[in-house]
Amino acid sequence: MTLLEIERLSAFYGRAQSLHEVSLSVGKGEVVAVIGTNGAGKSTLMDSIMGMVTNTGAMRLEGQDIIGRSPAEIVRHGVGYAPERAHLFPFMTVEDNLLVGGYTAREDIDRNIAHVHELFPVLKERARQETATLSGGERQMVSIGRALMTSPRLLLVDEPTIGLSPKVVAEIAATLRRLNEESGLTILIAEQNINFAMELAGTVHVLETGHMRISGTPQELMADEELNRAYFGT
Amino acid sequence: MTQILIQGLLLSGLYALIAIGFTMIFSVGRVLNLAYGAYLMLGGYTYFWVAQTMHMPKPIGIAAAIGIGALAGVAMHRLIVRPLHSDPVAVEISTLILAVIIQAGIVLVFNDAPKVLHPIVDGVWRVGGATVTFNILTATVASWVILFALYHFVRKTHVGRAISAVSMDIKGAALSGVNPDRINMITWAISGALGAIAGVFFASYTQLSPSMWVSPLIIAVAVVIVGGIGSIIGTLIVAHIIGFMEIISTTLIAAELRGVFTMLLIIVVLVLLPRGLFGRGEL
Ligand SMILES: Nc1ncnc2c1ncn2[C@@H]1O[C@H](COP(=O)(O)OP(=O)(O)OP(=O)(O)O)[C@@H](O)[C@H]1O
Ligand SMILES: [Mg+2]
Repeated sequence: MTLLEIERLSAFYGRAQSLHEVSLSVGKGEVVAVIGTNGAGKSTLMDSIMGMVTNTGAMRLEGQDIIGRSPAEIVRHGVGYAPERAHLFPFMTVEDNLLVGGYTAREDIDRNIAHVHELFPVLKERARQETATLSGGERQMVSIGRALMTSPRLLLVDEPTIGLSPKVVAEIAATLRRLNEESGLTILIAEQNINFAMELAGTVHVLETGHMRISGTPQELMADEELNRAYFGT
Repeated sequence: MTQILIQGLLLSGLYALIAIGFTMIFSVGRVLNLAYGAYLMLGGYTYFWVAQTMHMPKPIGIAAAIGIGALAGVAMHRLIVRPLHSDPVAVEISTLILAVIIQAGIVLVFNDAPKVLHPIVDGVWRVGGATVTFNILTATVASWVILFALYHFVRKTHVGRAISAVSMDIKGAALSGVNPDRINMITWAISGALGAIAGVFFASYTQLSPSMWVSPLIIAVAVVIVGGIGSIIGTLIVAHIIGFMEIISTTLIAAELRGVFTMLLIIVVLVLLPRGLFGRGEL
């Protein structure tokens, strides 16, 4: 079953076009990764799904048209977003950051907080600390936690590993895998960290300057010689 | 000495109430609402008309003032701030012009003679050598109660936290399902209501006049600039600095100095500490 279906999606910042007729689909329960270098359009794709960019083309979530909807409506449709650079509320506590995440899914707040604390026990210890004073890894956890507070069916994660130590990267990979396997959460990841993406995702898409270059399973992409030279340096 | 302490505390409480509605708009929308003083004037005159011209009960006068203030806030957001896309300079020019227009409207409806509000609460209280009117005491206690309630609203309710969230990171708020435009409108309504109630107390402390919007606006601007913040605690602290400075200068030096030190303080802080004492703009 397809959860998210994107067809010939273009994205515009004023006159500049950042995505050119990109198509992809994400099946229910899948982990899908979009990889690409700086400026390829990964964050633009994520922001487009959230209704934060001017778009043309088609986007459907479980068959419902979501193009042109406001971010608040998309969140209510079941999309949670951990964006690039987290965009946390720096002078609020960890707990209050999570509670803002629960703005729409108010009945689920207690259950969702318990779930987030179980996934990231450190956030329970730091509940009363302002997020401005957290480490980069902890901030990323709050960001994913806040997205989970919206009770999402689809989780968007933009470069969760940037600037983090291998140990924390492994922790986040394990948590995302656990979310997918135990809760059946569908996840779309944007990454430059190819290994991270290949390890987690069942399907990988390669974006290049706003164009979808190639898509496939990690094995298929590894077998592509030209791609290997460009992205894996082998 | 007791006199200064008591007067300082009373005035500062009122100043905090005057400033809070203005700092909220600044921290959430990043614009200075220079028509903010007009909310105080609208609130004061509405109360005057309902309670003293129409002889209705005082609580109805206060409720009417709050309603008019909230309405004025929403109208300004819909008709000025949103069409101007919150462009700070355009909003500041338009709101300043609006304040002058409201002043002219007040002169037209009520004429330009100052009016005295009857005390909201009668009586005086003597402590040591000082006398305190129940009216100003009520105003101060009410200010504290309102600020306390506001603090809890911002910390403990979904909409309150969303107001803080928008003030800190609009994108972060939007992806949490908060509609920043709606939150902005709610904040303008709250700000208008707070300004109007502050105006009732302020007018009963001084008097009603069509130019009464200027000095509260200066107090509010001073709190934002000196505090550099929209936090409720910070507003309280800076309101006390300004309130005490004013009481000390007017009682110990000369009564004519009312307001002068506040304006000097604005300039000194702008020059020496451009980001304010606390250096952040979030609620
Ligand atoms: N707000 C914006 N206004 C104008 N152009 C933008 C904006 N955001 C992104 N762009 C442009 O869109 C293109 C794609 O940027 P995007 O941030 O989506 O890339 P990315 O793949 O996420 O890169 P990175 O890995 O560095 O995060 C870039 O050319 C960028 O300059
Ligand atoms: Mg990016």
